[in-house]
Amino acid sequence: MRWKSKPPCSQKSQEPTSLSLCLRLFHRYRDLAPQLVPLDYTDKPAVTLPYELIGSMPELKDNPFRQRIAEVFSEHGDGNMTLDDFLDMFSVLSEMAPRDLKAYYAFKIYDFNNDDYICKSDLEKTVNKLTRNELTPEEISLVCEKVIYEADVDNDGKLSLADFQHMIVRAPDFLSTFHIRI
Amino acid sequence: GIDAAEDLVGSLANSCLSSSSLQSFRRFGNTLTEHFHQLQPWHKTLKIIGAEFGTSVLSYFIFLKWLLNFNIFSFLINFGFITIPQFLAAEPNNLSFTGLELLTGAGYFQQTVLYYGSYTNATISKVENSASYNMQLAYIFTVGTYFVICFLILLFSMARLFSRNFVNPQARSVNASKLLCTWDFNITNEKAVKLQQKNLLTQIKRQSAMLVLPVIVSLLNTLIPFFFSWLGHLENFQTPGQHIYVTIIRNIILKISIVGILCYYWLNIVATSESQCWETLVGQDIYRLVLVDFIFCLLGSFFGEFLRRIIGTTVCVSLGLPEFDIGRNVLDLIYAQTLTWIGILFSPLLPGIQMIAFLIVFFVKKVSLMRNCQPPCKVWRTAQMMTSFIFLLFCPSFLGVLSVIGVTVWRLKPSEECGPFRGLPSMYAAVAEWIQMLESYTAWKWVVWIYHNLISSELFFFIISTFVLVVTYLYWQIIQARRTMTKLLHNQIINAGKDKKFLLQKLQKVQRSKRSSSALGGRGQQVSLTAQLLLFNCLVQVHGVLQLCKQPAGLGKGCASNFI
Repeated sequence: MRWKSKPPCSQKSQEPTSLSLCLRLFHRYRDLAPQLVPLDYTDKPAVTLPYELIGSMPELKDNPFRQRIAEVFSEHGDGNMTLDDFLDMFSVLSEMAPRDLKAYYAFKIYDFNNDDYICKSDLEKTVNKLTRNELTPEEISLVCEKVIYEADVDNDGKLSLADFQHMIVRAPDFLSTFHIRI
Repeated sequence: GIDAAEDLVGSLANSCLSSSSLQSFRRFGNTLTEHFHQLQPWHKTLKIIGAEFGTSVLSYFIFLKWLLNFNIFSFLINFGFITIPQFLAAEPNNLSFTGLELLTGAGYFQQTVLYYGSYTNATISKVENSASYNMQLAYIFTVGTYFVICFLILLFSMARLFSRNFVNPQARSVNASKLLCTWDFNITNEKAVKLQQKNLLTQIKRQSAMLVLPVIVSLLNTLIPFFFSWLGHLENFQTPGQHIYVTIIRNIILKISIVGILCYYWLNIVATSESQCWETLVGQDIYRLVLVDFIFCLLGSFFGEFLRRIIGTTVCVSLGLPEFDIGRNVLDLIYAQTLTWIGILFSPLLPGIQMIAFLIVFFVKKVSLMRNCQPPCKVWRTAQMMTSFIFLLFCPSFLGVLSVIGVTVWRLKPSEECGPFRGLPSMYAAVAEWIQMLESYTAWKWVVWIYHNLISSELFFFIISTFVLVVTYLYWQIIQARRTMTKLLHNQIINAGKDKKFLLQKLQKVQRSKRSSSALGGRGQQVSLTAQLLLFNCLVQVHGVLQLCKQPAGLGKGCASNFI
């Protein structure tokens, strides 16, 4: 499998994905819109499924981060995915992807403004998504400050990819929770 | 990877665009490859459980599947190496079969291959002058090899899990990782997602309340130190894990006491009594224990989950649906496996019975979970709990079993009239006799040498123990040194960050003055050149600091201070 926009850390880890997983994913992709997706991909047709179809999949429809996930893996960052994007997404979220790769993509998902740092506003949006907007602004601010205080190693007020990966190392559940079974 | 798949799909599609029979063949081939992945046992079931209830409940079922593999392996090798040869030398069974034997394990079963007592001590040989099969050696080596393999598997699993899940147990980034790393993407059930969100919300609210409280206290300005220590004490107990751990520890102590007392009874009282065939009696006891434990497990599911749901939804609606009690269920599994391991020596086919029991438990628990339970409210640190469970499986459970087996094989006198070791002073004596017999063959002298100088020599074990202790001590010292190095490097990173901030501020100041002095004229350019050289030197030094990972201590104080 090839990974979209290669992360700096694990370019060597090209895991051999099983052919059966590819075929299953292809059929799931096709089942979303059988009239749009051809069976024959030899001419590499430029077929893109809109975000609404992707977000309605049973594995994603209740996930509060589904929009961010689709945006991160889509080609133009708008949530509309080609087959390549679809396969990339589910292979990063499978159990075969290495920890560094998952950490890289989790970082991108939580980075709402795409500036390569998780700043306070990104954290606030994350907290809102995780708690269904039911916290007061003071509580949210308190939580975000606490998170930055704990995880920011180089003290620049925001979390870089290195800070995030350092935190992941201490969260052994990450590999099993950042995983969607398909 | 993806290109190959695309080509395959494309070529398959191409080759059968027109013919419908080929199309159905292609469809069949695709379905086959799909199903092959799902033939992996219970793949779909595990996916559904993970999706509805999260990774913590899923980990119970994965643990159950893992234990099942131990039993399958044991059953296969016992059946292959001990039971099948026994069939060739079997004596006819005089007793009649009534249904009661299934419950008591006695009666008809007493003379079947289920128990130690019916195994012959003869050397089986079907054809004259061909290789013979020594039942005594087969029995002791099969059981011994199985336990050695179990030991290695448990040891390596534990070591791997420990290194992965207990990397750096500093409480420093507990909140950050709780927020960003524990959201369970597996869960696809809407209700379960809402529950996760509600749980996180409650935790955050509790924490914020605790954080807001010190502000009020300092405003009130009374009893400040007392309040802060009270707060810290409270915060320690806020984790739901504490309560669970206490319950589990009580459970463990109870079960260890039960098994300990039973083993004492069997080894000291039953074994030295004058009964006919004490190993078979012990085997029957264990069979009954396994069976009753299995029945109680099912009853526990019935009362704890099914009836509790009925009560929670009809009579006493405030209780609500029950949750799946992971701790209690995992401990039940460990207890059942401990009994099986103790029983292998006395009843070689017991793992087969336990295997069937585990299969039934899997399905019953799965059905009960789906019908009666709700997803867990508390946040489980799944990976660490699973490491603790496997550690429990290894430490009191497996090691205890090894000591029981050790005492039985080395110290106890086998019964005179039954079993493969009848007439010998101890079970181990079979190996000693075999070695004696081997001494007369020159081809096997090396085996005899190994036995005398490595296995039964105290000096060798003394040397090995000393060596292991020395290596352990060295590794411990290395860990201490690495810990110190980590702290130093951490400080270096912090200082480098401070330097960066300072330099950026200085640069901004210089740029501002450059802008204002460029209005005045030439002198500004001279200043900016000096500033740039300054900056360049500083950056080089900071870069050097970051590269100097090998040199410890005090470099990270910040070069920028030199230029102030």
